[in-house]
Amino acid sequence: MIKIADLHKVYGRGITKTHALKGINMEVKPGDFVAIMGRSGSGKSTLLHLLGLLDTPTSGNILIDNIDVLQLPEAQKGSFRLERLGYVFQEYSLIPEMTILENVFIPAICLGKEKSYKQRATELLKTVGLEERLSHYPNEVSGGEQQRAAVARALINRPKIIFADEPTASLDMVSAKVVLDLLKKLNRELGQTVVMVTHEPEDEKYVDRVIWLRDGYVSNPHLAS
Amino acid sequence: MGKLKLTLFLAFKSIIRGNRWAIVLIILVMSLSFANLILTPSILSGVTNTLNEQQVDTLFAHIVIDPKDEDHYLSNIDQTIKKIEQVHGVVGASAHLNSTAFMEYQWQDKNAPSDRGKSGSWTIIGINPIKEANVTTINENIIEGSYLDENDRDEIVLGVEIAGGDKAQTSPFLTLEGVRVGDDLRLTYPNGIQKEYRVKGIFQAHEMGKADRLAFVTKKEMASVMGRSIYADRASQILVRIEQTGDETIFIKKLEALGIDGEIRSWDEYGGAVGSIVSSFNVVASLISGIGLVVAAVVMFIVIYINVINRKRQIGILRAIGIKRSVIIFSYIIQTLFYAAIGVILGGLLFGHGIMPYFEHNPINLPIGVVSLAIKPVVIYSAVFGLILAAVFAGFIPVISIIKQSIIKAIWGN
Repeated sequence: MIKIADLHKVYGRGITKTHALKGINMEVKPGDFVAIMGRSGSGKSTLLHLLGLLDTPTSGNILIDNIDVLQLPEAQKGSFRLERLGYVFQEYSLIPEMTILENVFIPAICLGKEKSYKQRATELLKTVGLEERLSHYPNEVSGGEQQRAAVARALINRPKIIFADEPTASLDMVSAKVVLDLLKKLNRELGQTVVMVTHEPEDEKYVDRVIWLRDGYVSNPHLAS
Repeated sequence: MGKLKLTLFLAFKSIIRGNRWAIVLIILVMSLSFANLILTPSILSGVTNTLNEQQVDTLFAHIVIDPKDEDHYLSNIDQTIKKIEQVHGVVGASAHLNSTAFMEYQWQDKNAPSDRGKSGSWTIIGINPIKEANVTTINENIIEGSYLDENDRDEIVLGVEIAGGDKAQTSPFLTLEGVRVGDDLRLTYPNGIQKEYRVKGIFQAHEMGKADRLAFVTKKEMASVMGRSIYADRASQILVRIEQTGDETIFIKKLEALGIDGEIRSWDEYGGAVGSIVSSFNVVASLISGIGLVVAAVVMFIVIYINVINRKRQIGILRAIGIKRSVIIFSYIIQTLFYAAIGVILGGLLFGHGIMPYFEHNPINLPIGVVSLAIKPVVIYSAVFGLILAAVFAGFIPVISIIKQSIIKAIWGN
């Protein structure tokens, strides 16, 4: 489903040049729950940004469903993200002017699923345990609830893959467990593919395998495919 | 449909739930900018209107009939005036019998014939005071004494710049240096006739050109001086006043159709220096409007730019979700259009219910006269169009600058 070959990412120029990724090769199969782990600065968030088409690599290839996504024009990358990928950010990423329900159904409006998007958003919010928070604004709910709403938003268009960038980094332990349980449940019960960046060792128990990054390299290449 | 709905939804939510102080500030800037875009040209238009009205009211009326080039005077005046007055829409017509005269004040005090004393040469116009009152407003601008009566013979009415004194703006040596009502003047006409007149009234028309440098006697008196038998039914000019300024061309055609034997022209063909001043004011008004619009656009740009920059992270998140750039851009343009529309409405209300009534009750008293606001529809249309165009750019440029950044940079807020 996801195949990455010789992926490099270099930031800056001259003396400020930083080689964040130095030839990453890995694969993620449908239904996998993969964690990308490593120390701060190891390149794990950079890798997830590239996989989520939020940034472009310096070189290398990314195939998603056998589509060379790096060759897509910018507008088509947006459509690809909208239709096939779900992204959960590290920090609260809801739009503060919209209610929890509106935040969740926004991506669906763009796809023109007008008749059913509110119903589906409501169902998703029930799934993540936020049925009492539909008309609340982000500043009226807890961090954990915001992050669960972000997961619901990532799921609204039935994406094939969810990318989660340290989704529990800003949460207390209880809220973090709720979010991780939710991702696990989605993976186990719905077969949702999840790629999650984390630096918490205890998160390992939720995932099928861990790909370790160190200084821009995969340090356990035998588990990367 | 989905894109349009999302565009409107994003704009609506930003307006409803956005930072209220920012929205109030944006709308305030737009309202004041709009009011300013109308106010300045309206004041300048008011000045030009005043100048034009003064020309019409004190010097030319709306239409001037002159003798043809080969003639010195118009003939059959009484009959011509009657014909003109019968034209529907004509308020009145008045014949002028013009001459110049050398005027002397306190001539008795001169020590020698070479002593200039208090004297000078000015234009003197013979009028029928009743007919003239239908055509010009000299009779309404008497500041001392009274206006002429139809049968006055030895009385004269002087413009304040001939009489001199405190209210005159001309240097004293170019006036009669303080003539008062009841004083006597000695006039010497070009045909050598010398006659004394008692000053019956002094007027101040505030006209910039020459109205206040005119003197009036009755037409009967002027005809008598010039030779009654010849000049009683002759005139140097006929002034015609019509009901509506702007209809001059129509009435010129009507008067030509009457077969009047003379050159018929609109008042504005006589504008001369004042016409140049009016044209200059129009150019200045355009320049000030243009600068005002640029200033308004820059202020709006700064306020909206700050507002958009504060939403940089949200724009990044929307893009990360997969919302198309065009949807985000248009949602901001719709927001600024909404602010501009509200600004135009509030600015219009401020102008119509605040500024205009104020100036109606407190017109600006300038040396050229009392100036009120003159609002031209084209100024309003230009202001509306200009403000909306400026708002579109002020919304478009900041958001496009953020959209061009990478999604990650936008989300990180770099």
